[in-house]
Amino acid sequence: MTNLITLRDLLVISPMIALLFMSLIPVLMKVFSDNKEPKPFVTVVYALLGVILAVGLTASLAGMKQTAFSESLVFDGMAVWGSLIVLFSGAFALMLAFDHVETDAKQFSEQCFLMLGSMIGMLIVILSNDLIVTFLGIEMMSLCLYILVAMSREEILSKEASFKYFVLGSFASAIFLYGIALLYGTVGGTSLPVVAAKTGELLANHNQLFYIGMAMVILGFAFKVSVFPFHAWTPDVYQGASTPITAFMATAVKTATFIAILRLFQHADPSGPSAFLAEPKFLTVLSWLAVLTMMVGNAAAVIQNNFKRILAYSSISHSGYLLIGVITAGFAPRIESSLAASTVVLFYLFSYSLMTIGAFALVAILEKQVGHALTVDDLKGLSTRSPVLAGSLTLILFSLAGVPPTVGFFAKFSLFGSAIEQDLYWLAFWGVLSSVIAVYYYLRPVVAMYMSESTERIELQDGFLTRMALVLTAVATIVFGLASSPVLRFVSESVLNRL
Amino acid sequence: MLSLIVFLPLLAALIVAVLPKDSWVRPTAFVLAALQFLFSLALLAQYDPSTPALQLTEYRPWIEELGISYFLGIDGISLWLVLLTTFLLPVVIGGSWTAIDKRSKLFHASLFVLQTAMLGSFVAMDLVLFYVFFELSLVPMYFIVGIWGGARRIYATMKFFIYTMLGSLLMLLAIIYLMFTAQEVLPSHQMTANILELYKLDIPFIAGQFLNPQTLLFFAFSAAFAIKVPMFPVHTWLPDAHVEAPTPGSVVLAGVMLKMGSYGFLRFVIPLFPEAAEHYAWVFLFLGVVGILYGALVAMVQPDIKKLVAYSSVSHMGYVMMGLFALNTYGVTGSIYQMLNHGVSTGALFLLVGMIYERTHSREIDKYGGLAKVMPIYTILFFIVTLSSIAVPMTNGFIGEFLILLGSFQASKFFGIWAVVGVVLGAVYMLWMFKRVFFGEAGELVKDEHHPLRDLGKREIAVMAPLIVLIFWMGLLPNHFLKYSKVSIEHLVETKDAYQLAALDAEGRTVVFETPAKPILKPLDSVTTRVAGVEAK
Repeated sequence: MTNLITLRDLLVISPMIALLFMSLIPVLMKVFSDNKEPKPFVTVVYALLGVILAVGLTASLAGMKQTAFSESLVFDGMAVWGSLIVLFSGAFALMLAFDHVETDAKQFSEQCFLMLGSMIGMLIVILSNDLIVTFLGIEMMSLCLYILVAMSREEILSKEASFKYFVLGSFASAIFLYGIALLYGTVGGTSLPVVAAKTGELLANHNQLFYIGMAMVILGFAFKVSVFPFHAWTPDVYQGASTPITAFMATAVKTATFIAILRLFQHADPSGPSAFLAEPKFLTVLSWLAVLTMMVGNAAAVIQNNFKRILAYSSISHSGYLLIGVITAGFAPRIESSLAASTVVLFYLFSYSLMTIGAFALVAILEKQVGHALTVDDLKGLSTRSPVLAGSLTLILFSLAGVPPTVGFFAKFSLFGSAIEQDLYWLAFWGVLSSVIAVYYYLRPVVAMYMSESTERIELQDGFLTRMALVLTAVATIVFGLASSPVLRFVSESVLNRL
Repeated sequence: MLSLIVFLPLLAALIVAVLPKDSWVRPTAFVLAALQFLFSLALLAQYDPSTPALQLTEYRPWIEELGISYFLGIDGISLWLVLLTTFLLPVVIGGSWTAIDKRSKLFHASLFVLQTAMLGSFVAMDLVLFYVFFELSLVPMYFIVGIWGGARRIYATMKFFIYTMLGSLLMLLAIIYLMFTAQEVLPSHQMTANILELYKLDIPFIAGQFLNPQTLLFFAFSAAFAIKVPMFPVHTWLPDAHVEAPTPGSVVLAGVMLKMGSYGFLRFVIPLFPEAAEHYAWVFLFLGVVGILYGALVAMVQPDIKKLVAYSSVSHMGYVMMGLFALNTYGVTGSIYQMLNHGVSTGALFLLVGMIYERTHSREIDKYGGLAKVMPIYTILFFIVTLSSIAVPMTNGFIGEFLILLGSFQASKFFGIWAVVGVVLGAVYMLWMFKRVFFGEAGELVKDEHHPLRDLGKREIAVMAPLIVLIFWMGLLPNHFLKYSKVSIEHLVETKDAYQLAALDAEGRTVVFETPAKPILKPLDSVTTRVAGVEAK
């Protein structure tokens, strides 16, 4: 093993380099011009350019199966798709942030810098093949987010949210790190293939330290994707952060972390049954966590009136659905079916990100007008005031609820499908049951928009990019719903590439 | 041809939505719907009643990875339901000419989208495609009830949506299970949702034991369709939805949407799970009878005309279910006929109730009385429809109920006798309501000097005329209609244990399904224990 960094290594991390470079430009401009904020438009163009460059580099590297930096990073199909989802969510979040600029005007260049920095962290998490590197990525992503949450100059709420997130997040990170230490002690390495190779043996010996270490690592991940019972921070933080940041957190963080979990679970010995989840203890606990996450998220959303909190709880419940997919991928006895299940998780992440960004775009538009936290009642009569916005949100909400022929339906369909293929009937059954509860709160905004008269007239201001994001995502839910075939094929081909 | 029939309404919805003036919406919508009906009549000419095969099929792969295809076809079971759907739409638009006074663009666009969804679910021969249409139909109906409905419309529409969704999601799990079973068992080793391929599965069934694949699948499918029909005891969403829905919504709901449930039993449940259907037929016969009697008894005490008609729907759909689960030619023929009858008669009843409601804004039976003197034409029409609803000979209702009773007596004398009791009760509540509304002393609304009631106008008579004609046509010359379904029904009843359908394309050539391109998700090497007992026929 040499410690030389080769050109190939740099190629693998070139998207991150592009992001870093472009994020530095606006901040440096600010530094060199006496701390005068550059025009927000210039900043956002640089940031978007960075994202576009990263997307281009990732796409042009697609199809490559490569490890880098002494096998601590791996670039494969899953990495390509994960990176693309993260980058697109990031781009939409930047567009939202640009329209939100009057709130954060004084520090917009810092905000963009931090967002791109956080995206670099996410890419590291996605590419990571080593638990220590995963930890680094998670920390980089989270530290940027702590500041971003606090940066909204709005109210005390955002400071409180940031503090809550920071304290709890640090706890989770510490536990995660401790878990890694225990794994290192029992396995003798932190690289995922090494862990996977030893897992079967350690499980057979009932090595308690290994159990505890693994549980702690899973706990660290569970906090990041707000799986029950580590979800309590989510509504408060989502509500306190400014809406573009919330959209960013709800989509990109979730995508990156779930891919890391997939990598942990899926690195099974290709010959034998999958490592961790062949152990009934892990399977049972994780299954119940998934069920409880879905139920708690959906049940709590039913009684909310604040639209952002509804979306926060909905994002918790979607973590539960995603966990079903992850469990399926970890449980599948053969590597092909495991990869097929990973494909489904990626497809679900893609559709979830699409819908969530759209929903938050609407929140961002309306929030500015009503001047306080957006509630469901504020949506009353929106269909007469702005048919396009109301129609787009309706599409997105139906997609979140899983009504065909939207992309949300096909994502759920393939998710439950992969669970049933692995005989995980109860998981699929609970998933279906909680979807029915979810219908209620997804339809409440529709009721407000179409079936109630508006009490007050709110003038809609324009926010071109945000509107565009909303309409684009709404159209995409239909288009990718009807044409899910090519998407699924692309994803599965590139993921199967790993073999 | 079928694609055109299914998707022309969607085009119509777009046209209506972009019309510049609101006043153009109604005439345009009416003309488009009427043209659509005329166009769909061409089906009768192209349909060959001498073969049970699926006809006019169109097949195209859609999501190959999962074996989902865009597969349409029509046979004797669905032919009349398709025509009923296209027939009712212009009638509904004509009937709602003055009833819908706000946002008429959105309303008519919703109606057309609803029509696409309903037509699609009648001709879709791929389970997932069917599911997509089946679920899609909820969305426009949700808006129709929710926006143009009565005072408790939001409660009603939410209940309707969630109830139906609960059932159909269970069916979705069953569909997925079937698709994977097909992948493991069928010779092609492909996932498929093509219903003709799935008919070939022989799913293991163990009588007397609940937890076996066929029984579970049977009940998962039945749950979805029973809620849609709706059968007692999952009927509770129906009265709420009907009472709150605007007149056109009620007509479409009762006329066509309920049939999507009974059609589902006929198309999917009985042929896919024949042993379970036979073994548990008594459950459905029993629930059907209870529905008939319960619906009739509850209808009798309703103070609201519309709620009365809604409960009569529960009762009538009980007959349909009995006929289906009699599982013999009489019963099934009768229940298909009764589906059409119910569409025509109950649709007509809802229209008539809507007409009087527009005049007085009240549906309370007690406030009427002596209407016959003031509105003679209305009275005559209402009387004819009432007769059809209580199955008096020479009207359509008689043929349907008679066949169903024949079938149920063949299947089980016990349930047959109770169903006859239901016929009597049906006459009681309808005639009693008729007496209270139209005869006797003039009620407070009828003698109200300030708002004298006018009799039906030309438009209203014109809307009712085709329905009245159909009531007699179907009652006097049932063979005009039944001859198209006869072969399909006999084929289903006689071979239901090993049901197979051939598929013919528009030129009458037999269609052979090619296995789609290379499988992306590799098939499993060995058949797992889960489906060890499943074999392809």
